[in-house]
Amino acid sequence: MAAPPPPPQWVLDLNSTPPSKSRSGAFADPPGFTSATAVQQSKGAKGAKATTARAKPSQEEMDTLKLKKAWEVALAPAKQLPMNAIGMYMSGNSLQMFSIMMVFMLFKAPIQALMNINQTFVRFETESKKQELLMVKIAFVGCNLLALALGTWKVNQMGLLPTTRSDWLAWEVPREPLERAYFVPS
Amino acid sequence: MMLPLLAAACLLLRSASAVFADEAFNLDYHHALLGKPQESTTFFHRPNPASRASLIYSLSEKGVLGAVNPRDGSLVWRQLLSEGESSGASFLRAGEDQDAVVSGIGNRVDSWAAGDGRLAWSHVAPASLQDVEILELSDGKETPGAKDALILAGGEHAEVQRLDGATGAVKWSHKLESGDEPYQVSASSTEVFAILLHKTMLGYIKIKVVSLDPVTGKKTDEYTLASDSELASADTIISVGANSASPIIAWTDSAYTTLKVNIIGTKAVSSFNIEKHNEHAVQRVALHAPYHTNSLAHFLVHFETAVSDWAEVYHVNLKKSTVEKAYSLPKVSGHSAFSTSTNDANVYFTRVTNGQVSTVSSASHGVLGRWAISNFGTVGKSEETAPLHAVSEVSIKGDSVSAVRSAVYLSSGEWVLLRDGSATWQRLEVLADTISAAFTIPAEAEALVHELEEEAHSTPIHAYIHRVKRHINDLKSLPEIVRNLPQSFMRGFLGTSDDHSDAFGFKKSIICATSSGRLLALEGGNPNSIIWTKQVADVPAGQSWAARVEALPNGVIRLIEDNGSETPLFNATTGEKISSSSQEVHVDSPVPLVAVEYTLQNGELAATASGQNKADTLWRFVPQPGEKILGLVSRPVNDPVASIGKVLGDRNVLYKYLNPNLALLVTAHEAVKSASVYVLDTVSGAVIYSNTHKNVDLSEPIASTLSENWFAYSFTAEASDSSPKGHQLVSGELFESLSSNDRGILDAAVNVSSLSGSTEPHTLTQTYQIPESIAKLSVTQTRQGITSRQLLAVLADSSAIVGIPRGVIDPRRPVGRDPTKNEQMEGLVRYAPVIEFDPKWHLNHAREVLGIKNVVTSPALLESTSLIFAYGLDVFGTRLSPSFNFDMIGKDFNKFQMLATVAALAVVTFVVTPLVKRKQVNARWQFA
Repeated sequence: MAAPPPPPQWVLDLNSTPPSKSRSGAFADPPGFTSATAVQQSKGAKGAKATTARAKPSQEEMDTLKLKKAWEVALAPAKQLPMNAIGMYMSGNSLQMFSIMMVFMLFKAPIQALMNINQTFVRFETESKKQELLMVKIAFVGCNLLALALGTWKVNQMGLLPTTRSDWLAWEVPREPLERAYFVPS
Repeated sequence: MMLPLLAAACLLLRSASAVFADEAFNLDYHHALLGKPQESTTFFHRPNPASRASLIYSLSEKGVLGAVNPRDGSLVWRQLLSEGESSGASFLRAGEDQDAVVSGIGNRVDSWAAGDGRLAWSHVAPASLQDVEILELSDGKETPGAKDALILAGGEHAEVQRLDGATGAVKWSHKLESGDEPYQVSASSTEVFAILLHKTMLGYIKIKVVSLDPVTGKKTDEYTLASDSELASADTIISVGANSASPIIAWTDSAYTTLKVNIIGTKAVSSFNIEKHNEHAVQRVALHAPYHTNSLAHFLVHFETAVSDWAEVYHVNLKKSTVEKAYSLPKVSGHSAFSTSTNDANVYFTRVTNGQVSTVSSASHGVLGRWAISNFGTVGKSEETAPLHAVSEVSIKGDSVSAVRSAVYLSSGEWVLLRDGSATWQRLEVLADTISAAFTIPAEAEALVHELEEEAHSTPIHAYIHRVKRHINDLKSLPEIVRNLPQSFMRGFLGTSDDHSDAFGFKKSIICATSSGRLLALEGGNPNSIIWTKQVADVPAGQSWAARVEALPNGVIRLIEDNGSETPLFNATTGEKISSSSQEVHVDSPVPLVAVEYTLQNGELAATASGQNKADTLWRFVPQPGEKILGLVSRPVNDPVASIGKVLGDRNVLYKYLNPNLALLVTAHEAVKSASVYVLDTVSGAVIYSNTHKNVDLSEPIASTLSENWFAYSFTAEASDSSPKGHQLVSGELFESLSSNDRGILDAAVNVSSLSGSTEPHTLTQTYQIPESIAKLSVTQTRQGITSRQLLAVLADSSAIVGIPRGVIDPRRPVGRDPTKNEQMEGLVRYAPVIEFDPKWHLNHAREVLGIKNVVTSPALLESTSLIFAYGLDVFGTRLSPSFNFDMIGKDFNKFQMLATVAALAVVTFVVTPLVKRKQVNARWQFA
């Protein structure tokens, strides 16, 4: 029984890809640069020098950090509010392409944000800070609602909300007269 | 939510509208008319002695003097001499080889330049005119150029005056103090004769001739003709010839048995028996004589019976002063019109019958020219038309007549020019007598509207099923539409939209009733064509018929005669009479619980419950003692209102007072010169609003109109210490309440009754000064009343019709301050007391519309457009979009560009598709 022939060279090449060496394997690293492998190596070699490296944050710290980040995300819409308000004020109350587009965007962003609220905060989800995150979410909803309110105010300014008597005038019926008079020429 | 949008749209639209240059003369139509030409005041005349072309001059029964070009029937110039109906006789004379025509009407004598109709001079006679003549004599005393005119004024102080032909100054005047009735004035080449009628004790009339010296005006002779007992009235005097070589007087007895002729200046009376040709009695005798002093003294007498007519030609022997019968023209059945024309001294008589035109010389009975008339080119094809009177112009070549032009007035009311027997043009002078007009409602459009209404008033499901069914039914006409598609496409593409379908309802035909008892249907889209015409009433000459036309649904016309109880119905498209017994026609209108009928009679308004005894009046409106009712306008029966309130700038609502039973009554008090205006609720008779204007010039017209919840009227105020004389336009608007969002006491009540509980509206009025008086006011009407309205004002003085935008006369315009922002949003501008009629408001643009008495409006099928038809003397029609054409593509829309863009896009897509495909495939496979 003959042994199978050795695989061709290209199969060997294919199966064992060369380690992704630094692109410039032929050149020396620039002075002061320490590659990751080099750091690990040096860590293992010289333990005294470990103090120079940043300590891995603890879980507690990590959670706090996440919460901070979450607050930032939650309050982002509120920061945009003044700018939006100025934009809305500037665009005027007339029914034009530009102002309609702006109002549309104003409505679209908060609604989309509210719909995606869980996806937005899933990466800040931690076991310990569940309560706090709820507050963050509430703040986020509040901020978006503020943006929506701005949109509503704008739409009302534009006269698109049926808030006045004239908007319902079409549904008011004229009174039917019970009598009719006709002129008969004599 | 749509309302602010709509309001915004309306605001944008509410700017000054005008007639666009490409629409002028295109959308509108105009018949510049004279009215029925009178036989005695119509003639051919050369406006300039040097030119050979002559014009037809006529002073019509309506008192309009005009010159018509005989080539094409177009009007060269015209002048309106009398406002309204003048009862007195009118005269028009032109001296031979003169460039002026002299007209006389009422007590005014005017001389007009024959070429362009400019006034040369004007003279007011001491009393109403009995006759006007041109003095054709050559005594060397008259001003060179213009010949003098002779006038005979009647009345208490009869007077003959000779007026200078150039200035109109009185050269001499002779008072006729005998107390006899002046009849006519006549002049031979040496003398002036005044013909007077002397009433004898027995009631007969004797003809008295007073001869005057033409130079001094002194009486030279006076004698009475021995007419004995033949003349019972002046009606049987056939003619008093004037200005011919030997003027004659001809009369008959009342039975038309003998004809008596007297040569004026002699006392001899020649007598001729009128032969009876058959059992039919002679009904009319007319005399036709040349009008020139140097023509032969020949004349023609035309005898008419009910079925036939003939004529006899007489010669006057000047030397012997006798009259001899020369020859007679044969009897022809039917009616013919005779006319006299002269060429140098020769006299020619032209006879126009229903079938032919023939010309004879006065000297012999040989026919010089004869042309058959195939047709007069009249509108009423089936109708028998008879020539009533004619004027002719003959051109002579050698011994024969080479051409003859006759302007014939037909019994159908058309004025036709026959050139050698063929009709060259027709003028529809009968339209000048229009007394009532109405737009018809085409049957098919009406059907669709009815179906749509049905859909609107049923439940959604039913409406949907109904609509699907209707569309399936519509599919039946699909093959035809597909067949006609290329054609209509081409038409639309080339802009020659001459198709006969009337999808927009712009071509509603108009039915006119004339005072001569005739109905005419004008095609709205093609105003020069008359669809049909029909004599519906026999009106004796000199009387006028009073009737109204009313359009009913399904293309039916109802005629309401003022003194007839019958209201005949006619088919609007064919003119056939519909027997009312076939109950196809019925007007379905919602029947209210109480129907009230009110009439204007004996100077007061009285209302009764319909179907009740006429004696049981519900209410009665009697004007103050001394006041008389000038006019009554009630709100149109079909007056749709789009919105029951006015949307203010802050989007609140001001509710309109909408009462279908409103009427506006205008009364005048002659003694104290005041005019009062009352807005009445015609169910209860309550006066809703009233106002009295003192110091009003009642000789000027007071026009008024009422629409929706507003009214307008105009009057002329006399000068007072504080203000000069001026014309004023008052506009008023009725509201449920003056505070916004308040619907009055009744609030949201479904029903309202005028009889129980009072709902007094709040009225706002505003007065404006206008530059001239308004003869008639009207309002545009649109299908649903969404479009803003225009007030149409007929300006008699400038012969124009203006459309005043409603916003301009809005009573809510802020007074004494600039409008607030909200008011600006509404389109209100600061009140200015003077309204100038913007030239852009003139609907008639370059046209001159004369003598308009009334304007009727009708909605088109498109909401934006209102159809307008004005009548009186002229007939003028147009269509108006007060808020512009917001629902149709304008003419300036470039169809070619649109199609070219589509085509170019198609081509580009076609070319680029393979390229893009290849690129996409390559992008997958190539790694560069």
